[in-house]
Amino acid sequence: MLLHVAAEIEHSLMVEYLFSAYCFGGPQVPSSLRKAVRRWQEIILGVAKEEMGHLMTVQNVLTALGAPLNLNRENYPWDIGLYPFPFALERPTLDSIAKYVLAESAPTWSDPPAGEIKRRAGASAHAVVNHVGALYELIIAILGRPDLIADSAFQARTLPLQSSWDTWGRGYTQGQRGQESGNVPGALSPELIVLRVISRDSALFALRQVGEQGEGAGDPSPAVGEESHFRRFLTIWTEMRQLSAADQRLVSQPVAENPCTSRMADDGSDRYVQGKQTKNWIANPAALAWAHLFNLRYRMLLVNLIHSMRPVSPQRDATPVVDRGILINRTFAEMYNLRVIASTLVQLPLDAANPRGLRAGAPFEMPYTLDIPQRESDRWLLQRDLLQASRFTINDLRSQVSSSNGLRFLAALESSDQLAAQRVDAILSDRPVMTLDEDPR
Amino acid sequence: MTIRELRILPPLAIARLGASDLPVDNYEVEVDTTDPLGYRRLRPAETFQIDDHSGEIKASYVPTVLRFMDNDKVRPVAPFLEVWALSGRGQLEPLTVEVLRSHRLSPADVKWRVHVANYKVYRRTGNLSDRLDAKVGPISDHRPRELSGKCPNFWSGKRLPLGWVRYIKPNTAFPAIRLRFTPAHGYVYGASKALPGRVGTRIDPNLKEVLYNANKGRWLGFVEAGDTTSTNPPFIYANNAVGDSFVSRGYMDDECDGIVWVELKVGRQLLSAYARIGAGPPAYAPDSFPVRSVADELDQAMFGPLVRQGDSSLAAVEEILRRAVETVRLMNTTVMNGNPVNGLVNSANTMASQDTGDTSRYFEPIMSTSIVDNHALITLHQSVLTALRAGSAPWFADLLRNYDEVGDLSSKGRRKMPALMRGADGRYLALTRRQVDLIRQVARLPILQGDPAIALTETKAHSRGKRK
Repeated sequence: MLLHVAAEIEHSLMVEYLFSAYCFGGPQVPSSLRKAVRRWQEIILGVAKEEMGHLMTVQNVLTALGAPLNLNRENYPWDIGLYPFPFALERPTLDSIAKYVLAESAPTWSDPPAGEIKRRAGASAHAVVNHVGALYELIIAILGRPDLIADSAFQARTLPLQSSWDTWGRGYTQGQRGQESGNVPGALSPELIVLRVISRDSALFALRQVGEQGEGAGDPSPAVGEESHFRRFLTIWTEMRQLSAADQRLVSQPVAENPCTSRMADDGSDRYVQGKQTKNWIANPAALAWAHLFNLRYRMLLVNLIHSMRPVSPQRDATPVVDRGILINRTFAEMYNLRVIASTLVQLPLDAANPRGLRAGAPFEMPYTLDIPQRESDRWLLQRDLLQASRFTINDLRSQVSSSNGLRFLAALESSDQLAAQRVDAILSDRPVMTLDEDPR
Repeated sequence: MTIRELRILPPLAIARLGASDLPVDNYEVEVDTTDPLGYRRLRPAETFQIDDHSGEIKASYVPTVLRFMDNDKVRPVAPFLEVWALSGRGQLEPLTVEVLRSHRLSPADVKWRVHVANYKVYRRTGNLSDRLDAKVGPISDHRPRELSGKCPNFWSGKRLPLGWVRYIKPNTAFPAIRLRFTPAHGYVYGASKALPGRVGTRIDPNLKEVLYNANKGRWLGFVEAGDTTSTNPPFIYANNAVGDSFVSRGYMDDECDGIVWVELKVGRQLLSAYARIGAGPPAYAPDSFPVRSVADELDQAMFGPLVRQGDSSLAAVEEILRRAVETVRLMNTTVMNGNPVNGLVNSANTMASQDTGDTSRYFEPIMSTSIVDNHALITLHQSVLTALRAGSAPWFADLLRNYDEVGDLSSKGRRKMPALMRGADGRYLALTRRQVDLIRQVARLPILQGDPAIALTETKAHSRGKRK
């Protein structure tokens, strides 16, 4: 269960960080702060990418132990005391970032401004914030004991089914020259940790690496390269803290917290409280249509991810080659699509009747199921269904979009989906995979 | 107008070889808005029809259909070079019959000279007698002039045809001063009738004609030293591998490059201008462009490795990415990655094999073998293009290979973009410094470029005041 919770935490944090990062920026940012804001955005996006590496590494440990994969978020009761804080999609503020700092910090951290950060984090989370590192310490303590988990439980033969940096890393790792400059000055390129597991030692090593990238260990000096997530968030928090209250509000778009596509309040209002959190229904038809597309592409990303981790067919259990590559590359493609749609949503009003009010944001709503069919051909039929659903959604959305960039994106996305559908049809018809421009005639 | 200086436009024209007598018609290459991720659309454009007898332009037309072949022969690309005059007011205007007349001159007063060469053999052997040159001019009439390549090491009386040039006769409808360069047919010439490297006397089917006298020069059977005097990479000539040696087959092609001069005496002043011409192989994928081209080199040479802030645009980045998609579309990525082919490891000449050959690096594919399926990679690149078309700033600048990282053989270094390809220096291809700087500059912009129409809510005064 602990590994499942770890996977869910990594997934949740990745989504929360992405949401936060996409809120940064906008025309209201004072020109003197634009470079800093873009840098903060890039730093958080980098952390989110690294959380994806953590997620994949935890899935690898699960695979090595013969356990099912888990791409859920908060599937266990909150009161098990392991989740860092209740899942919440929030724009970056001193309070929300304080939560991230604290969750990624070591339990013993008490240097200034720990006091203020703990106070703000608690207020934002409406709960005690737990440390992610503590969970990893617990898992490491258990996995390290042969009397609890036998050596034979670690199945090296699952290696071909595990994700690797080679397939998922996209070059994001420390090279011979050390960590490289990122896209934006002052933000280093992410260091993606995707480690595979064949034994107890490799499992412990992988989990320690993940834990250390979060809260930092040994010498966390930035001079030696990678900074922990804790340090990176603390840097952003500290720099934001130095701004006036007015400027703090201007560094990000006024995005509604927890935007959602379902109107669930009993009284018919657009806002409702679930637990101690507020959810905001996206009442603007245009934003709602984009949000539906976002949720669908988010589902497609998760389906691609799960599908890529399954044996392609019983006959090719050990070495899935071509089809797996398609799924991996399509997973990345969906990340790019989500980036565009999320960035579009934060520019749109939550409520068309209140154009100067809150903005919509990426809803990141989980699909009704993450289960995928048992048979490989049915999995590809699911892929085809999703592409068809996307076509319908794009058609619905097109009438709501007036921006040239939005229309250009939808046209290109539709074109890309058509090519993907042709490929899926080829796979389903068991035609040989064509390369280049072979003409089947 | 007063003619102060002359110019030839374009200053660089690249012809493409073809055996047909009919040059290919003009066309524009456009992005198809109805198929934004697909092939570029070729739109026929205005084309001149030359009267073979007089050398005049007898008509101008827009073809309804583009044809790159004439029966089974490739239609060559035969560029026109136009003379422009820089007036006293500093303006460039076409040099026409009327402008000449206003200076009491006629088209016959214009003098052209052309010198083209093919020094590929000389570049390898270092023997001056292996140089192939063709010179014509001065030309003031309108008869076609053959560019007949002479080489001291050819058999007596033998010439290698490098194409021809013609001073187009101006007329009332088309009064501008022009020269047309029509390249050669794209044949291979040699030094031996018999197929080199084979026992017996089998006739070499590749050859148009034997021109090179192997008794005088040493091109047939030549072996490049592979040292600092050699090209980099070395051994890039038609050869037979004999042991560890790459033995030349003695082949020569009919490509060339050179200079076109034009002279005009205006009053007492002799004005002149020159342009460069070259001939290369046909474009078999005219709807695609390579990710790094000669145009990028020229851009960098003219404007430097850094892009001025106002000169960077998302559209320019999108164009680079479109060319990346088109480049990947023409690659056999699974083979080029070094994946086993039919169970054979290291079976093709790839960057993976070059790494082993050049540096004794342990042979291993460049990317993970499971993610280099061509369609999957095209899809991935198209997705990047899709995001860019939405106004999204590029996020992949940190994955680009820097110009000084072309020899980085770490796993990370080998996987940088552009991947799997070799640059002119024999190591991994990098974009030009200017291309990389352009992408990096745009990457620093907001993630999604503001689009006034998308933000239904922006207070009008605020948004319009900020955006241009």
